[in-house]
Amino acid sequence: MSIEKVILNALKTDCTGCSTCADFKADNLQHAIARLNGVTKVKVDEITGKTTIEYDTQKIILSKITERFEKLGYQVEIVSREEIR
Amino acid sequence: MREQFKGVVLVILLGLFALAGALIPGTQIAYAHEISIALTLIAVALGYRIYRHGIRSLLHKNITAQLFATIAIFISVIAGLVIPSASATGTAEAVGYLTASAIVAFIILAGMTLEDYIIHRTRGALETLIKMSPKTARVRRDGKEVQVPIDEVKKGEIVLVKPGDNIPVDGTVLSGHSTVNQATITGESIPIEKTVGDRTFAGTLNENGALEIIVEKVAEDTTLAHLIQLVEEAQEKKAPIQNIADRFTTYFLPIMTIVSSSVFVASYFTLGFEVALARTVTVLLVACPCALSIAVPVAVAATIGNASMNAIIIKGGTHIEKLKDVTLVAFDKTGTLTIGEPRVVEVKTFGNYSEADTIKYAAIAEKFSEHPLSKAIIAKATEMNLKIPDPTDFKTIPGQGVDAHFGNKHILIGRKMTETIISVEANQLMSKVESEGKTVIPVALDKNVIGIIVVADTVRANSLEAIQRLKRLGVKTAMLTGDNVRTAKSIADQVGVDEYHAELLPEQKVAYIGELKKGNVVAMVGDGVNDAPALANSDVGFAMGAAGSDVAIETADVALLGDDLTKVEYAISLSRKAFTRMKGNIIYAFIWNIVALSLAAFGILNPVLAVVLAEAGCISVVINSALLLLSKPKPLAKIKG
Repeated sequence: MSIEKVILNALKTDCTGCSTCADFKADNLQHAIARLNGVTKVKVDEITGKTTIEYDTQKIILSKITERFEKLGYQVEIVSREEIR
Repeated sequence: MREQFKGVVLVILLGLFALAGALIPGTQIAYAHEISIALTLIAVALGYRIYRHGIRSLLHKNITAQLFATIAIFISVIAGLVIPSASATGTAEAVGYLTASAIVAFIILAGMTLEDYIIHRTRGALETLIKMSPKTARVRRDGKEVQVPIDEVKKGEIVLVKPGDNIPVDGTVLSGHSTVNQATITGESIPIEKTVGDRTFAGTLNENGALEIIVEKVAEDTTLAHLIQLVEEAQEKKAPIQNIADRFTTYFLPIMTIVSSSVFVASYFTLGFEVALARTVTVLLVACPCALSIAVPVAVAATIGNASMNAIIIKGGTHIEKLKDVTLVAFDKTGTLTIGEPRVVEVKTFGNYSEADTIKYAAIAEKFSEHPLSKAIIAKATEMNLKIPDPTDFKTIPGQGVDAHFGNKHILIGRKMTETIISVEANQLMSKVESEGKTVIPVALDKNVIGIIVVADTVRANSLEAIQRLKRLGVKTAMLTGDNVRTAKSIADQVGVDEYHAELLPEQKVAYIGELKKGNVVAMVGDGVNDAPALANSDVGFAMGAAGSDVAIETADVALLGDDLTKVEYAISLSRKAFTRMKGNIIYAFIWNIVALSLAAFGILNPVLAVVLAEAGCISVVINSALLLLSKPKPLAKIKG
């Protein structure tokens, strides 16, 4: 098993000025990504849109993950990527 | 779940500290005043979620309601510490600044927690589907049965499914016989018989028999997984009406910054520092765009969630808005309004021969034929529990019929085959039936016509009801078909569509949709594969029976996973209801904000009332939206089909 950790900026201008709405969107995103086969950890920051993901590179490739973001209406930008195990 | 529990605990703790802080000054305890201040400060501090959110947003160059609340609470705390005897406003003389800030923090945090809870409930529909996703499968490997995690199952392997278990994969039945409840996928709760060669879906329930299934799709590739992803994506797709709310909220908070500063300056010079401070705090607390910004997204999620529970996939907020405007629904005929396969609808007999005799001899002659009409006759014989022996010999003459022997009996099937022996009376009867768009199959036994089998494509059990429901909604209906006028008229009369158009080639259907769109908002219902171009040209394309066909689901704006056409009306009425809610939410939130703001600016509200008002506005919008989840389609009358 080889785990990689990636930090993404996920941008969407859906909820403005309200934490409840931002939480709602972040929560939905977090659930959707967490369900991907091979993703072991996801944390979405509802304010900055910064998303930290850990995944098993033998089970899923990064482009599959970013594709999911795009399908959910997010533009993504990779901030950092490192192998942690 | 743990997050939510933590949230509730925080709210309760905050409340208890605030309460203790407020009650202690009335007791005889030593240092009551100091203890009270300490407890109240702890209470305020427990609202850290609010401040953290507000400050972090600011650092991220975003002004939020939480930032305003943070500033308001901070000002109150400072005021409470600096001017201990200060009272908030006229109406709240008894409440000191410090206590007020603890109460405000309590209400905001409680509001946030409650909203989170309700909003997460809108995920419920999706969670139901997710829960149906199998985690493991029993696979045959090296002659042994092993239980393995679902992502280790490979295409082409054989899985075994016991009675009462969920089917773990999309595949084909290799052996066994059972009934399967496919409600998860098709919304149809009546179990379907499955035997060798039938397709199965992951997440459906195997009822009474054991099945061996060859794996075709597993985990994320299954129909169920695709549906879940589609719903997730659809719930994220904005409804256009949200742009109105967004435009407003973008300017709202910057404007509020100016308003609150103006209120402070104006009150400072007319009513003095203390009143100015109280009013500014109140304005900041009431200035919450939450109700507006959340009005639409939660309603969209709830509507799409509700639809998915009814085996309807609406592919985003835009389609909800289109659906609500639909004035005409055009249906494809074959396979949509009708079942799409010929069935025996009537048997006319002559002489002493019964219906069973006619079907039996026809079935013997047709036993080994693959022709759709033969299949219809065999199906009828099976339905009537008739035993069908093999014919002694048989000869199929393409375009004419069958010439067969059974023992010493000679059977002739088909119009051309019986031309010379049929009576004038029977001939007239056949012409009449044919004029209704049906097919006639005369059956002769030893050169004697014993009966006529009438075969036709039959309308689906729910088609008539579906059309009637649309009419009741004030929506016009039309039928488009490539079939001849005679057959088209017959079906159109049976289902009661307002208009029908026959003999249309696929490209003519597309053009016809264009015609209908002049003056109507048109939804087109078809199978999503053959009529994909017509669906694409309509305002809202419905694909029916879409479960298992990725193409159909992909093409459609709305996918009906099962065959129930009454869902068309449900999708439209649900969307109308949803849109009314969204619009209502926006108007309500807008008025609520203006009223609360005016009251705050003129000193009629105190900070506690202000925050109660702001949270109540937001929560009522959230609840109003979330309630869309509870809408249900009208039950169907029991129709055999």
